Amino acid sequence: MVAVRETVETVDQIAGEKYKYGFSTDIESERAPIGLSEDTVRFISAKKGEPDWMLEWRLDAYRRWLTMEEPTWAKIKIPPIDFQAAYYYAAPKQKAKLDSLDDVDPKLLETYKKLGIPLVEQQMLAGVAVDAVFDSVSVVTTFKKKLSEVGVIFCPFSEAVREHPELVKKYLGSVVPPADNYYAALNSAVFSDGSFVYIPPGVRCPMELSTYFRINEAQTGQFERTMIIADQGSYVSYLEGCTAPQRDENQLHAAVVELIAHDDAEIKYSTVQNWFPGDEDGKGGVYNFVTKRGDCRGDRSKISWTQVETGSAVTWKYPSCILRGDESRGEFYSIAISNHFQQVDSGTKMIHLGRNSSSRIISKGISAGRSSSTYRGLVSVHKKAENVRNFTQCDSLLIGDKSAAHTVPYIEAKNPTAILEHEATTSKISEEQLFYCMQRGVSAEEAVALIVNGFCRDVLQQLPMEFAVEAQKLVSVSLEGSVG
Amino acid sequence: MTDTARKFIETYERERTALPAADLGWLKAHRDAAMKAFAKAGLPHRRLEDWRYTDLARVLDKASLAPMPLHKGDVSVPDAQAAVRVFGGIDRHIVTIVNGQLRGDVSLPDGVSLLPLSDVLAQPWARALVETRVSKTQAADILALNTGLMRGGLGLHIAKGVKLDKPLHLIYLVADDGAVHLRNLIQLEEGAEATIYESFVGTGSYFTDHATSLSLAEDARLTQIRVQDEAPAAIHLATLSATLAARTYLSSFTLSLGSALSRGQTFVRFDGEGAEAHINGATALKGRQHGDQFCITDHAVPHCTSATLFRTVLDDASTGVFQGRVIVRPHAQKTDGRQMTNALLLSRDAAMNAKPELEIYADDVQCAHGSTIGELNSEALFYLRSRGIDEQTARQLLISAFLDEAFKTVPDEPAREGLRELAADWFRLTEKESA
Amino acid sequence: MLEIKNLHATVGGKEILKGIDLTVNAGEIHAIMGPNGSGKSTLSYLLSGRDGYDVTEGSVTYKGQDLLALSVDARAVAGVFLAFQYPIEIPGVTTMTFLKAALNAVRKARGEEELDAPRFLKKVREKAKPLNIADDMLKRALNVGFSGGEKKRAEILQMALLEPALAILDETDSGLDIDALKVVSDGVNALRSPDRAMIVITHYQRLLEYIVPDVVHVLSEGRIVRTGGKELAGELERTGYAEFAA
Repeated sequence: MVAVRETVETVDQIAGEKYKYGFSTDIESERAPIGLSEDTVRFISAKKGEPDWMLEWRLDAYRRWLTMEEPTWAKIKIPPIDFQAAYYYAAPKQKAKLDSLDDVDPKLLETYKKLGIPLVEQQMLAGVAVDAVFDSVSVVTTFKKKLSEVGVIFCPFSEAVREHPELVKKYLGSVVPPADNYYAALNSAVFSDGSFVYIPPGVRCPMELSTYFRINEAQTGQFERTMIIADQGSYVSYLEGCTAPQRDENQLHAAVVELIAHDDAEIKYSTVQNWFPGDEDGKGGVYNFVTKRGDCRGDRSKISWTQVETGSAVTWKYPSCILRGDESRGEFYSIAISNHFQQVDSGTKMIHLGRNSSSRIISKGISAGRSSSTYRGLVSVHKKAENVRNFTQCDSLLIGDKSAAHTVPYIEAKNPTAILEHEATTSKISEEQLFYCMQRGVSAEEAVALIVNGFCRDVLQQLPMEFAVEAQKLVSVSLEGSVG
Repeated sequence: MTDTARKFIETYERERTALPAADLGWLKAHRDAAMKAFAKAGLPHRRLEDWRYTDLARVLDKASLAPMPLHKGDVSVPDAQAAVRVFGGIDRHIVTIVNGQLRGDVSLPDGVSLLPLSDVLAQPWARALVETRVSKTQAADILALNTGLMRGGLGLHIAKGVKLDKPLHLIYLVADDGAVHLRNLIQLEEGAEATIYESFVGTGSYFTDHATSLSLAEDARLTQIRVQDEAPAAIHLATLSATLAARTYLSSFTLSLGSALSRGQTFVRFDGEGAEAHINGATALKGRQHGDQFCITDHAVPHCTSATLFRTVLDDASTGVFQGRVIVRPHAQKTDGRQMTNALLLSRDAAMNAKPELEIYADDVQCAHGSTIGELNSEALFYLRSRGIDEQTARQLLISAFLDEAFKTVPDEPAREGLRELAADWFRLTEKESA
Repeated sequence: MLEIKNLHATVGGKEILKGIDLTVNAGEIHAIMGPNGSGKSTLSYLLSGRDGYDVTEGSVTYKGQDLLALSVDARAVAGVFLAFQYPIEIPGVTTMTFLKAALNAVRKARGEEELDAPRFLKKVREKAKPLNIADDMLKRALNVGFSGGEKKRAEILQMALLEPALAILDETDSGLDIDALKVVSDGVNALRSPDRAMIVITHYQRLLEYIVPDVVHVLSEGRIVRTGGKELAGELERTGYAEFAA
């Protein structure tokens, strides 16, 4: 990961210089003043050309945020964040741009190659200003045409605010209320952009939707807001690829994702998260504070979260399901890999309100180096939820005696017809397994990757094919330097 | 601060000079510091993570209890009480503690000393036990109250290599209303062995604040079996804090049946390699009872084993809680830590909350936990009934089978049988009431 | 190919091998027989480089280089193969995935290109067929839930794929019935070659009826106490190891 850090530092340096010397009027108008105030919120809203109701919603969230305190219950140690020392809106133009791939550290490119990311994406991820990529609008438009034929709306959130205000108004904050938690409130006040998806009744979305191509946009702000609405009987599979070391002055990333599944609808949400994890000494890296929640609002609805978390210095994230509908189903499949000084506190909540609702949680945590990984999960069965079923399996694998793994499950049952099962284990890679692999000529590092991939198999299988391959490689890369 | 907390502080202010061994300088300072800490923290409430499911502050405020008086009159050993009778057929030493005060004499073998708390506090081993802080968790903070106000209880010291000839049965009887703070100090020296039975019974409306500080020196072995069947209106808090030296063995089992609200807390810290701790229990509740078991096994050194199993049966509108944590500190390699909790909900209004945690900082360990919550298996019930067994009997069979997994962990055979019968009585009664 | 000189080794501070001398040439099959606890498995683990086996004296030269200086995987890619007595289970890792990782590691070391998926599959099937290993078994996690016979056959399949120069078979006959033994032995015999040496470690003579050795050594108390031709195995079967016991 050294290569990544160096590049990031270089980019930061250039960026810093630009900010220092380049205060032309033009640039100033593209950027919010440093710090957070009502003016910042107004500035962002104005930049987005938002209607008044949207601004009011943001301001309300901001005022609530002022009264809230940062949560401290997670097993995470970080110095206090100075929210006034950050920029909350910056247009892409100020971003440092390299002219071509030749200017990018070859080691960084090698990392991408290992990840199996195609060249065009490599260019994007490396922050190279390649027109073809910046003009990927055309690609999106092609999709758009195909999607609009079946009535699917897939557009940037800011566009949805303008084009589909009735939908946004109806659903915004209905799953994650503005004051849900500290970071969600912050996001609600200053969110820059994100995706908006609406699948009309009975439509099976003809392709997998992905945020992959929007990574350059995401660079500008660290506060995306995503919303997916699956109307009755519809189906959508959504991929979120954060397979980029993110360069960010304030290092804070606080996203909100809201999913709504109506009767008989199904949403499958997959994430591969590889933000910049900091270097081997624990310096730098993204603070990833994310609120993701799905509402199985309709009967027989289903929401499935799959996540592969390998990046970020700190991850604070609990993709959850509110199982409101009868016979609704929630799933959470997670792989969290931490190395060096990374800290992960992640898990899920399955709130069973509907009759015959069921949920399944499979969590695989791997900690190497001096990292710490915590599974934190809640399974709760309300009084009127009959015949609820939950199965939870959380396994932790430790690599090296300086790493830590914790399991903090909350299991609450208020209805006798529930059957809740929870299992958890913690172990290390056995010396015998390593020896066996090495006796067949596989190097120690490769052997660890092989065994860890085996350990994660139940979760990897849940990912769409292309993602699974990428995730497997990511697992190997993340653990580099963890043995020997 | 809650009313009750304020009352406790006032009691301390008023009685500090009259408390046992009040003339000991170190103890006075220690108590002052403890009550200062208590005044700061107050009584535990649900906003504290370790008390997430049990609001002791609120329940105590509702009970509004005065300090418990010393009981002057005679009392008889309540043989009829099931919690006492359970050990009835076993040859044992019997000691009765009324409202916290030791009654009568018991003749114990050489090397075994059993004295009222006030008589042992001056001894170095007792001081060491009082001053040892086994756990620095939120849950353990409430011990400060006991340290400040402890006036009842006893000190048990077993000398090096001495094996107690037969089980020691401690019967705690509460005969008046009020709050009682007992502290037991138990020291087993190298290679000493003992089995202790404890029965908690009483009448009226009271709060038992019972704390045991236990230290096992190298190779010592202790088996402890507790039956908590306090009065229906009682509030019961029992905290066991144990430090285990190398190659020691501790088996602690609690059957919890009584009181309106009970909380059992167990803190075990391994200080020497090759030690073993088995912390188990069974809880059976009905009506609006609330029963909470909180257990931390802290592996501070390598090569130790801990196993925890708690089974809970909940009828009517009762609530069960299990919060457990296996901690494996850095370097505590080769730890074997296991924790299991299972609950059976017998009624529509019963509720169970479980939070079994693993906190692991060493890699070469085998740690696991499991938790299940469910109702009686309807297929099993159907199968039994299809063989001609009536529903009530079938349910009883399945409930006893469920609890039996917990009883199997009791190493003391005769006591195990007694516990089984007692549990059988419990649900026979329960089923009859609900029928 | 392999030259062991005055090899002394300890396990957990206890001396198990007390001066082994053994020379194995290409094309030869050596059997090492001996009672339980004589050091047979220690020798096989030591040659393959397992941790916890400390050489206190002596040397092991393989193809002219110091074998003991190489890491476990370096020995493996250099052509040293150990068929385990108790192959470990690795949950979640399919046999196929594992075989591919191992084969490509060995090929890479030999300067050969990695096999693509179709060619790899073809090769595995070709080697698996005579061992009665069906595709279904290859899709299962490595050794997980395999029967004793399946585990041993999987070991031989790996040997056939990796084509080692020196194969060490540790108690390959243990836990096998006669039919399985025959399949496994046929697999081993098919790999006999003038370029390849094998060390067959066994407690019983039975295996040596199927895999006929050129030389038989008797290991007892950490020393080779007798060396002879294949007839020595038969002799041992009749007399037992009693005469070699201390």
